[in-house]
Amino acid sequence: MGKDGSASYIPTRLDYAVKWAQKNSLWPMPFGTSCCGIELMSTLSGTYDLSRFGSEVVRFSPRQADLLLVAGTITTKMSPVLRQIYDQMLEPKWVIAMGACSSSGGIFNTYSVLQGIDEIMPVDIYVPGCPPIPEGLIYSILRLQEIVEKGLPRKQMHKLTREEARNAMNFRQAIGESLFESGETGATPSGPAEIKGETR
Amino acid sequence: MSVAFGVIRDRQDQLFLHLEQTYPSHRVLRDKIEEPILWLRSPDELVPMIEALRREPATQFDRLSDITAYDNIDHVDGPKRLIVVYQLYSLQHHTRLRLKIAIDQDESVPTLTVVWGAANWLEREVFDMFGIRFAGHPDLRRILMDERFVGHPLLKEYELEARQPFSDSLPVRIATGFESPEESH
Ligand code: SF4
Repeated sequence: MGKDGSASYIPTRLDYAVKWAQKNSLWPMPFGTSCCGIELMSTLSGTYDLSRFGSEVVRFSPRQADLLLVAGTITTKMSPVLRQIYDQMLEPKWVIAMGACSSSGGIFNTYSVLQGIDEIMPVDIYVPGCPPIPEGLIYSILRLQEIVEKGLPRKQMHKLTREEARNAMNFRQAIGESLFESGETGATPSGPAEIKGETR
Repeated sequence: MSVAFGVIRDRQDQLFLHLEQTYPSHRVLRDKIEEPILWLRSPDELVPMIEALRREPATQFDRLSDITAYDNIDHVDGPKRLIVVYQLYSLQHHTRLRLKIAIDQDESVPTLTVVWGAANWLEREVFDMFGIRFAGHPDLRRILMDERFVGHPLLKEYELEARQPFSDSLPVRIATGFESPEESH
């Protein structure tokens, strides 16, 4: 539609149009179980206003949502409930694990807490932080829009073993290939001179 | 220091003296903020003692704040393995009292649901976490962990990271046949 009211067409490919529409209307289903949920509410409300990015319609019914936003500690008793909500969502669907707890269990390495929701469902984006700042969540939604638009494959997270985590050099070796672009990976442990140029 | 704080401190001192006089054969201690702690000698004393503390005008402990327990595995508090802790509050005097009972793992404690209905879920929680049995409890089931869970996680021999995930959750069951103490009197 032109400004003067005259009709016009924009020729486009259908799949591109569909992706464009999906990316700009990611309706989240919030699953806030603890402190990260407060940060999520803050992101959704006036000051940070997630609706600027097309995610304003928070759906408390999984059938109407595209994006499952898991914000908080998931206990082992809660995990079947979360999995059921994931199963009830219609394709296409995406999952954001917000905060250390839902990404890896966080500080709660205990008898009752699930060590990361990726044990029970595929996850597209992990947002680090305890809790992540609202800007971090907004950044993750922007990244997710990029993923939706380009149809990028879902990457498997590499979970560190205890030995890998103990040593920062090994950490770099372990996640170097998957995290950084190939070619730039200085996976050989040869000192801090190589650490520049690591930013995404 | 506010006036109210001084008044409550005075009442705590009075309560402490009163308890020492009334129960000369019990250990009565004070914690770091001067609140009295009364050690019971055996679980059988619990219900008569609590009813007396609730009834007497000098104490009038009419509210049960909490029931909890701890694992006395290092035997700091005597030879018995578990310590059950009752935290009482008096809405009349605004004072608090902690009752402690030492028990072995095969002993049970009489339930307080006959005095306070609120004890029902608190005792279920203590049972869930420590495996302490409350004799006469109407519905002693796990409350926090799944009902299929094996072991009692706050006992020190339970390994911290021993998770027991289940692929489905059990439907909620509401206990039937439970009457609150007021209705049954
Ligand atoms: S990651 Fe931190 S802020 Fe978020 S739910 Fe866990 S403990 Fe709370």
